[in-house]
Amino acid sequence: MDAIEPLGGTTAGTDVIEETEVVTKRPWNVVVWNDPVTPMAVVVVIFKRIFGYSNNKATQLMLTVHHEGRAIVWSGQRDRAQAYCVKLQVAGLQSTIEQDD
Amino acid sequence: MVGRHRMFVRRRDGRVEVRLNDLGRAVAREAFGRVVAAERDPDHEWHVTLSAPIDPSSDQDDPLATLTRQNETSTNAELAVMTLNEQFLNDAEAWAWLSTLQVALRATAVANGLLSDEKLAACDPELMNFIRTLQSFLFELAECL
Repeated sequence: MDAIEPLGGTTAGTDVIEETEVVTKRPWNVVVWNDPVTPMAVVVVIFKRIFGYSNNKATQLMLTVHHEGRAIVWSGQRDRAQAYCVKLQVAGLQSTIEQDD
Repeated sequence: MVGRHRMFVRRRDGRVEVRLNDLGRAVAREAFGRVVAAERDPDHEWHVTLSAPIDPSSDQDDPLATLTRQNETSTNAELAVMTLNEQFLNDAEAWAWLSTLQVALRATAVANGLLSDEKLAACDPELMNFIRTLQSFLFELAECL
């Protein structure tokens, strides 16, 4: 009966190198950009409708867009970020996605 | 005391009553019609806004996402056109109006280079009137949704 080598062991004169792949999954951000024409109340309604945010959270994000020129309104998986971005664009807001630094 | 005339009113049954006069509906018709046209015509001055990048770091956006955007924008705009003469809108119709008016508003601003408060303040009075009218529609619709 032949001897069985243990998995991951070494064979005579040969080193087995185990490689571990580390995948860092940085989240994707949905960004909404400011513009000079969109009424603030419209932005709040759109955030509430698309994300289900409370009035307070939607208002806070709208104010961030207004004062800082942009706001990250959602973070997570790429496909969901892309879907949210499309919904925002369909609702007439300028939106893009970007991967978190 | 004279009350403010409201253009959109949320009723107790959940519908939104449209109280626009003929002139107001004409402005809405123009806005909705231009969104429908821009979605179909790559040379339309509003088309750039309707096909903005989703992921600017990529050379090309996911075709499925851009197709979804095109379908949803067209669906909203066509629903808005179909309900243009209605006195009452259900929730989905009112949302289609708001989305399409907002697309029209931003497309107007982008097409005319009105990307800052200063440029907006200095724009042509007729254009400013169109923008202010769309903004007032949107503001009141937002209060109903």
